[in-house]
Amino acid sequence: MGTVSFIRRLMTLVLLAALQIFFFNRIALFGYATPLFYIWMIARFDSSMSRSGILLWAFFLGLVIDVFSGTPGLNSASATLLAMFQPGLVKLFVSMDRHDVLVPGSDSMGGRPFAGYLLLMATIHHTVYFILRSIPLGDWTVLVLKVVFSVVMTFILMTVAEHSFSNTGSKRS
Amino acid sequence: MRSLLDFIVRHSYVFLFVLLETLSLILLFGFNDRQKEAYLTSANSLSGTLYEWRTGVEQYFGLRKENATLVRENARLRSLLYDLSDSLDSATERSMSSDGVVVARVIDNSVRKDDNYITIDKGRNHGIAQGMGVYSSDGVVGIVMAAGRKYSVILPVLNGSTSISCKVKGSDSFGFLEWNGGDPYMAQIKDMPYHSSVDIGDTIVTTGFTSVFPENIPVGTVAKVEHMKNGYTLRVNVNLAVDMSDLRWVYIHSRTRDAEIDELFKQVKD
Repeated sequence: MGTVSFIRRLMTLVLLAALQIFFFNRIALFGYATPLFYIWMIARFDSSMSRSGILLWAFFLGLVIDVFSGTPGLNSASATLLAMFQPGLVKLFVSMDRHDVLVPGSDSMGGRPFAGYLLLMATIHHTVYFILRSIPLGDWTVLVLKVVFSVVMTFILMTVAEHSFSNTGSKRS
Repeated sequence: MRSLLDFIVRHSYVFLFVLLETLSLILLFGFNDRQKEAYLTSANSLSGTLYEWRTGVEQYFGLRKENATLVRENARLRSLLYDLSDSLDSATERSMSSDGVVVARVIDNSVRKDDNYITIDKGRNHGIAQGMGVYSSDGVVGIVMAAGRKYSVILPVLNGSTSISCKVKGSDSFGFLEWNGGDPYMAQIKDMPYHSSVDIGDTIVTTGFTSVFPENIPVGTVAKVEHMKNGYTLRVNVNLAVDMSDLRWVYIHSRTRDAEIDELFKQVKD
């Protein structure tokens, strides 16, 4: 991993963590929906990264958010779990057996598979996140509502991000 | 060995994952109050369940010893119980006894025969004599038929030979209570005057005409009133006040027959 890409990743981490801490964590739309947009970083990890690398980045991303949100372990646990599944999830939505470096995106995977991939990522992460946050588990209905609403919010934000940023990098003719 | 090492290296991320997750969960349950509390509670309930199982198993193996202890304890309690019940008996006797009334314990009884008898643990030595009235706390039981030195035999209501003078409570209609077998809870008054005012539910008590019973000892309640065809008398079925099958203690009305009455009867007969 080159220094440049490392610094870029670090900046992404700081940016996404800051967004989450100062902005998204304060949102509770309809009382339930809190977007956890920072998983965008995990969703975009490319296939050249080692699995340990993915795990470590995700863990520290979650840890930084936790430290500044007063929820030690909550985001790091769910983010690390998501990072464990990430490579497998990418393979699930890529039909061809590709050997080149794949950065998950609608251009590399196709719009629908990428949307499905994002939705599944968000669902896995948010389910774990809200279960851990709601311990001791009491009201399952509220838990399910929180997961569903937040998944929708996060998904919308990630889709917006996909169309705003990622396409600028790979200009398609 | 080589391949094992290879495997470990290739899957080192799994160990990393476990490590990071463990770290996260330690943080989560160590520093968040709600989760910590939940963890402690569930840990407690888990260990509690385990303790319970262990105790259950241990208790099972200790059963034989426990049993022996219980049997000894049982024996000790039983002997205490007998002692107590003896002293209770004598205390009851003392407290219930009063002038003209002897308290006796029923030691033999029957209700299912055609002619039933009751045996009590008091006799002549205690002032019991033939012809005395016997009643319990509920009502009339019978009449002393024979008195031995220490025991007496009672002719209860449930005997064909018994006839007890009784009346409707609060009125002067009277007759003689008899029993003709069968239902041990039911007896009949046969010769109640035809125009007596008797209604179902009325209480029947002793008359006190004879000195066998004092007045107003309950006999039972009216269950049925039949007008006899002869046009002179009523037949009244009486639900007996006393459950004869469940007699423990009885009182014997031992007021001796007034000698003057006897004397007068004698004169009249002569």
